[in-house]
Amino acid sequence: MLLEARNLHIGYGDAPAVWDVSFDVDAGEIVSVIGPNGAGKTTLINAIAGLLRCRQGELRFDGADMKRVRAHDYCSHGIALVPEGRRLFTKMTVEENLELGCYLPAARAARASSLERVYGLFPILRDKRQQPAGELSGGQQQMVAIGRALMARPRIVLFDEPSLGLAPTIVDDMFDIISRVRDDGAAVLLVEQNVLKALSIADRAYVLEQGRIVATGLPDELLKQPHIREAYLGV
Amino acid sequence: MMPSATLLGQALISGVLAGGMYGLLALGLSLSWGLLRLVNLSHFALAFLAAYLTYEMGTTYHIDPWWSVLLIVPAMFAIGLVQHWIFDRFKVNELASLLITFSFAVMLEVGIQLYWTADYRRFETHYATWSIKAGPFYIPVLELILCLVAGVLAWGTWLWLRKTYVGKALRASAEDADIAAAYGVDHKKLAYLLSGLGAAYAGVAGTFIALIATLAPAQIWAWLGVVFAVVIIGRLGNPLGALFAGMLIGASESIAMAILSPAWAPVVSFSVLIAILLWDPEWS
Repeated sequence: MLLEARNLHIGYGDAPAVWDVSFDVDAGEIVSVIGPNGAGKTTLINAIAGLLRCRQGELRFDGADMKRVRAHDYCSHGIALVPEGRRLFTKMTVEENLELGCYLPAARAARASSLERVYGLFPILRDKRQQPAGELSGGQQQMVAIGRALMARPRIVLFDEPSLGLAPTIVDDMFDIISRVRDDGAAVLLVEQNVLKALSIADRAYVLEQGRIVATGLPDELLKQPHIREAYLGV
Repeated sequence: MMPSATLLGQALISGVLAGGMYGLLALGLSLSWGLLRLVNLSHFALAFLAAYLTYEMGTTYHIDPWWSVLLIVPAMFAIGLVQHWIFDRFKVNELASLLITFSFAVMLEVGIQLYWTADYRRFETHYATWSIKAGPFYIPVLELILCLVAGVLAWGTWLWLRKTYVGKALRASAEDADIAAAYGVDHKKLAYLLSGLGAAYAGVAGTFIALIATLAPAQIWAWLGVVFAVVIIGRLGNPLGALFAGMLIGASESIAMAILSPAWAPVVSFSVLIAILLWDPEWS
């Protein structure tokens, strides 16, 4: 397994947000974590990105014990985050945002080819590369956030609600891009409220409710479960 | 009565050159405030410490300021690191940094007063009064050199922040430190570097203060107001902005003194600041 989480407990201060969560992501997989607002999805993905500390449990990435790794060293292990709400460096240009993605020496050495790849995926960003990222539309900002993650040459990309606040046509494009990221060789962990979309591209999925994993399986199996159909699809 | 064009021109030149000192002092302050969210009130005290050290080395050991600066700047850099260790150790935020660095400044003032007394000190050099004559105008050489040095430092720092990975990482961390860290930026290490750099700039400013001004411990506070205005007018974290704002304020003060009276000078910087903030409340 590339990413292994065992009995993770994560919280803010004294308030626990995620209890006893276990899951895996293997190389080349797209794994979706679905669940309602406030279920702890962002907490979970932030902990895997190193932004939050796990209180208990085990977090392993390619065999390394990530609980011992400092926050700014997560990226060097091959983990890249596309955060909720994009969190771009809004005053910096598009290209500078992308360059921050390849800040570490190994990724920096491949700067030129990585930039070509990102501009190939998102040609509009090449035209806007000297503009402050904060001036772009929501969809374009999401492209920058994804591009920034790809610049790090990651082995896994963590997507946190990539469809949030985007127009429906752009949402389809985003999910196409996520599939392409996997096809290009990185594993994907996707956290989404857009359940149908998230399940349609996933190889496996987990359902997170109130900080606990309540169901897991193949997307088709999950879609057949009455609870899932009622809670997320309204049928 | 309106002064003559020559007088106004001379006031403009003197003001711009004097503004170079504002810009040089504002540079380090603007960097730590804009990029680390630390407001360093002791920046002026560090500059004066450097000025007194320049004075001491010059008068007691007869070391020329152009040489002593090579010792003082690295020493100030080290002091900046120690200062940052305290910020880091006690997790100092923006407001707390004001209080802590205010106390640093008071302690430095007391220390300076104990060692050098409250007497006025003047470091005499044979080149202090040199000036170049350009048409009807006089350009003081030391101030001109100060402006050139301030210009090189501001421009170099601006390029460093814009063109290097470290500079970009500092700007990114200022906006969102967690996300910058997620891409490998070790903000703590860079913050030490920047704090050291800010103090080193105070060292450069101090050398020129020793050459140009009369030293007294209480002078530490003399530039506080105007340089704060300059930092904000120049936009936090923008080195070139700090320099241009310094020259703008220097020129405005000087012209106000020529047209109205010297008593008006202190009003100018804050009038310009208020006007800018009224025009664009999001300015800084």
